Amino acid sequence: MHATIQKPIDEIIGYLDPGEKVFVVGCDNCAAKCHSGGIPDTQEMASRLEKRGVNVVGWCVPQPKGISLCKLANTKKVLQEEYGEVTKQADSFLILACGQGIHTVMDATDGGMVHAGCDTIFGGETVTDDFITEYCSLCGDCIVEYTAGLCPVTLCAKSLLNGPCGGAKNGKCEVDRNRDCGWQLIYDRLKELGQLDKMDKYIMPKNNSRWSRPRSLTMAGTEVTFRSLAGDVTISRQD
Amino acid sequence: MSKFKEKLESGKFVITGEIGPPKGVNIEKCLHDAELLRDYVTAINITDLQSAVLRIGSLAVSSKLIERRIEPIFQLTCRDRNRLALQSDLLSAWALGIENVLCLTGDHPTMGDHAEAKPVYDLDSVQLLKAASTLNQGRDMSDHELDSNPNFFLGAVVTPGAEPMEPQIIKMKKKIAVGARFFQTQAIYEPDKFESFINQVKSLNVPVIAGIVILKSAAMAKFMNENVAGITVPEDIINEMSDTPKEDRKKKAAEITARIIRQVKPLCQGVHIMPLGWDELVPEIIKEVEA
Ligand code: SF4
Ligand code: SF4
Repeated sequence: MHATIQKPIDEIIGYLDPGEKVFVVGCDNCAAKCHSGGIPDTQEMASRLEKRGVNVVGWCVPQPKGISLCKLANTKKVLQEEYGEVTKQADSFLILACGQGIHTVMDATDGGMVHAGCDTIFGGETVTDDFITEYCSLCGDCIVEYTAGLCPVTLCAKSLLNGPCGGAKNGKCEVDRNRDCGWQLIYDRLKELGQLDKMDKYIMPKNNSRWSRPRSLTMAGTEVTFRSLAGDVTISRQD
Repeated sequence: MSKFKEKLESGKFVITGEIGPPKGVNIEKCLHDAELLRDYVTAINITDLQSAVLRIGSLAVSSKLIERRIEPIFQLTCRDRNRLALQSDLLSAWALGIENVLCLTGDHPTMGDHAEAKPVYDLDSVQLLKAASTLNQGRDMSDHELDSNPNFFLGAVVTPGAEPMEPQIIKMKKKIAVGARFFQTQAIYEPDKFESFINQVKSLNVPVIAGIVILKSAAMAKFMNENVAGITVPEDIINEMSDTPKEDRKKKAAEITARIIRQVKPLCQGVHIMPLGWDELVPEIIKEVEA
C-alpha cells in the first residue's frame, strides 16, 4: 500500500486562491487505512476548509467500498457521472490520497487542476489498523532471496547489501538508536533458518536503471512487460 | 612504491596517524599537524568528510601530503558519490600519486551538519573495494578497458568489539575476497577482547592495524560507551582519567594510550593513532612506545 499523511492545513490553504472553488477527493483504499483520505477524513477536511473560509463545492470518496482512487475507470465514472454536476463547478480538486491518486484525478477530469492534500511517504505493510511500516523501497531488482526475505535496501539506513556497517549497538541502528539494525534482523533470521552461508555471497551493486523513473507495466494476454531505462523486460506467465 | 604497503607486506609493524581536513579553505594547520607526525608514522589517514560534516575533501589534502613527500592513506566513503564519481576519484587519486586507499561506508548524512543531504550509498564498502580492485586490473565496473591502470593498496575497516561479532567477520572475509589487503579497526581500549578477535581472524592472513583513539576525559569515555558501537572503555581507565587533575590530563592521556599500544603491539601489525585534536601528544606517545 502507499502510505500518506495529510499536509498541515495551513499549507493546503496556502495553495488556494481567494474564492477558488474546491472539490475534495479521498481514496477508500490506502489513504483510508492511513486516516488521510477515507470517508470521515475527507468529510472533515471539507468542513475544516469551510471553517477557514474556503469555498468547498463538494467532496467524495469514490465507491464501491475499499476501491482505490488510482483505478482510473472507476474514478472517472464517479467524478464525471455520479458527481458530474458538482465537479463541473469546481476550479480545482484537493486530493487526499497518494501521488498516483493525484494523477488519476487529473486523468479522470480531463486535465483538471489538482492540489496535493497529502504527502506520499512510502509503500508499506498494514501491520495493524494503527500501524503501517515500510519493508520494500520498490527498487525493481529484488535480492531478498539472499537476505531471508528481509530487505536491506529498506531496513538498513544505508541500504548496504553485503552486511552490516560497524555501527549497530544492542541491535539498534547507528543512525537511529530507536530503530532495529536491518542487518541484525537479517543475520538473526538467516541464523534461525540455518542459512547463514547466504551472507557469504557477494551481492552485486544494484542495477539502478531498473529504479529509473517513470516506469510502467503493460499487460497483454499471457505476457507482462516492465519498462524502465534498463530496457523492456517481458515475462510470460506460461513458460 | 607505497612504504606503508612495503612494511605491511614484509611483516613489519606500522604506525599510522590521522588528519581531519578543515572546514574552510585554510589547510596550513592540518599540513602543520602532518609535519609534526612525519618522522613518527609511516602514513597518515586523511578522513573523508568525517562524521558527515562538510569539509575540504580527502583527495585534495592527500595530494598536498604527496607534494610534501608524506604518505597518505586516502579515505574514500560511499556516502556522497555514485559509482561513476567513486571510480573517477580513484583514477584521479592515482594520477595525483596516491597509492593507499581505505574504503569505507561512511557515516550517514543525518549524523552530520547537512542532515537533509541525499545519502548516496550507490555502492557499499565491499562493492567499492571490488570496484577499486577491478580498476587495478585495468577495467572499470562496466568491464570497459582503461588505457592504463592504477595499482592501489586497498584497505578496509572492521569493528572488533561489535556484538554479535560473527556478521563483522563474515563481512571482513567478503572484503578480503574482493581485494582488501589491510584492516584498520575501531578504537581499542580492551586488549584482552582485541586478542580474542585477533584469534578469530588470524587464519585470514591479513594485516590488522589496531585503532587507537586518545582518550581526553572521563566524559568522553562515558559518551563513547553509551553511543559508539564496539567501544567499551573499562571502568579503571575511566577512573584513572577522572582522578587526574585537569592540568595533568594530557600527560595521563598519553600514558594510557602508550600503555594500550604496548599491550596490543604483540597482537597485530600496527596501530592507527587518532588524536582527535591532541596531535601534539602523538610524537611523545610513539617515542615512549618505541623506547
Ligand atoms: S530488494 Fe528491492 S524489490 Fe526487493 S524488497 Fe528490497 S526494495 Fe523491494
Ligand atoms: S547500523 Fe545496521 S541498519 Fe544502521 S546503517 Fe549500519 S548496518 Fe544499516
